[in-house]
Amino acid sequence: MNAFREISSKISAVKLQNRVIALFALVMMTIPLGIGPYPISAMVDVGLYSIVTIGIILLMGFAGQISIGHAAFFGIGAYTSAILTTHYQFSPWLALFLGAALSGGIAAAIGRAMFRLHGLMLAGITLALNLVFYHLVCSMIGLTGGAMGLINIPPLILGGLNFSRSFLTYYMVWIIAIVILGFSLNLANSQVGRTLRSMNTHAGGSEDAAQVLGINVNSYKVQILVLSAVYASIAGSIYAHHARVVEPGTFFIPFSVMVVIMAVLGGLRSPWGAFLGAGLMIGVREFLWEVMPVFVTGVTGAYELIAYGVILILALLFLPRGLISLFGRAFTKRRATV
Amino acid sequence: MKTDSAVVKDAVTSKKVAPDKLLLKVEDVSMRFGVLAVLKRVSFSVPKGNILVIIGPNGAGKSTLLKLISGLLSLQEGEIWFKQHRLSKIPPHRISSLGITQLLQDVQLFSSMSVIENIMVGCHLRTRAGFLSAGLKLPQAQADEQRILKRAMSKLSLVGLEQKAWGNPVGLSWGQQKLVGLARALATGSDLLLLDEPYSGLLADEIDKLNQLILQLQRQGMTILIVEHLTDVLMGIGNQVIVLDYGEKIAEGTPDEIQRNKRVIDAYLGSG
Repeated sequence: MNAFREISSKISAVKLQNRVIALFALVMMTIPLGIGPYPISAMVDVGLYSIVTIGIILLMGFAGQISIGHAAFFGIGAYTSAILTTHYQFSPWLALFLGAALSGGIAAAIGRAMFRLHGLMLAGITLALNLVFYHLVCSMIGLTGGAMGLINIPPLILGGLNFSRSFLTYYMVWIIAIVILGFSLNLANSQVGRTLRSMNTHAGGSEDAAQVLGINVNSYKVQILVLSAVYASIAGSIYAHHARVVEPGTFFIPFSVMVVIMAVLGGLRSPWGAFLGAGLMIGVREFLWEVMPVFVTGVTGAYELIAYGVILILALLFLPRGLISLFGRAFTKRRATV
Repeated sequence: MKTDSAVVKDAVTSKKVAPDKLLLKVEDVSMRFGVLAVLKRVSFSVPKGNILVIIGPNGAGKSTLLKLISGLLSLQEGEIWFKQHRLSKIPPHRISSLGITQLLQDVQLFSSMSVIENIMVGCHLRTRAGFLSAGLKLPQAQADEQRILKRAMSKLSLVGLEQKAWGNPVGLSWGQQKLVGLARALATGSDLLLLDEPYSGLLADEIDKLNQLILQLQRQGMTILIVEHLTDVLMGIGNQVIVLDYGEKIAEGTPDEIQRNKRVIDAYLGSG
């Protein structure tokens, strides 16, 4: 009897999750109807950062692998799109897919090479990848425009809809973000999600125990790195076609650190955490950009980074499981699903 | 098995064991950690359906031997054969897929999951859904989930803990954690079960329960290799006993033979 009760409870949890996603989608689709162009543009940023952060959550929160170089994958997507569409007149959509394939391929190559090593190797290697990417982009002036970047990148167009307008980009970004959320939640609640958690030595997992159960730990580490790189690349491509311009500074280490902070702040236990982390951080950024010049005359520089640092420290002290831990089981409860 | 089967005898009957009845053969296995020799040319074989007990004091090399068989440690010298497969240089996950699994000494249940999810992870080799089908929730992934949930529940029932299915393993007693670990190992469907000190820390009734379970598994055709230092518990359960002392095999035989072996008495069991 108990088993039946539990199984029906599980089914309810799955239904609840689907309903929460539907409600979330409905809310996100109605938001642009009531706000102006500037907040819409900020919400596009939230959506793009959320896509990257979902990948970081799967990589760090589920598989226990730390990356501080995802700006490189975001940049590979952005620059692949920018180069292929401006220099070679590729379709923006094709460029987006090729960027994702290239990011995935690079992630697979470095993943296969380094997961034989243990510890914080991924953090170090991804950091190095970010540095290499940045300096490559800066130095390959003929292809990338160097420090000046590339301009006049064509917008994404679908069925006559031109996504150069923030309003339309908002819908595209958030539809993609919600699709990626659904995919990632399914993954998290599946045997793949359990397998990833079983090898996460930072969160109650054990590589030895996983391996004697037949789990190819290295293969799963590579696969989840590839998936997170593809997410970042898709976001990067959309960013390039939305902003219509790319320059190397966007894809440097502060971006990589930012998405890690968003993941930790939102909560590493669920893909939902990405939206909370990205929402709060972008909200703080916009607030500071608006408010600081009023109080501090002539303020310049990335002063919001100070606030991000303070927020991260406060989150680690008082909400170690992230903002998501404030919500109910619909967001955080992981169960076997039928 | 590509080994010299002529020298292999059943420890109980002393009769030669046909190659196709042999499940595991360990040949001249040595292991060093730096200058310390942990195992010295250890050899033995295990026929299908047997319970082999390896005893020895702390530091005798018992756990190292199990980890060499399961692949968690790499072989330095010697050979290990399982069915037709030479296990050297095979990673642990592939050894598991060949039919060997291990209950680790400290169990290492996954504390971020419920009890039933722990056991579902043990069903990994019985799933086919990858990232794409799981993410898209394709019919294959859903069928996998249903099948492994059912299988995991049956393994949990086998160890008598189905009421604990949805709780966190951290809340279980040590004995219950060991049983969940056993259920998780059984979920792999392996032919050879390696148990590393499964009795340590268990209460008397838990030891009885575990013994009954092990005998039940043997009756179902499973081959079991137990490493333990609690000799009293094991003498009644093993078909075959091996004694290690400072990495060296000093005796092999039936429990009765081992209990009468002077070298074993001197080295380990004591005269009392």
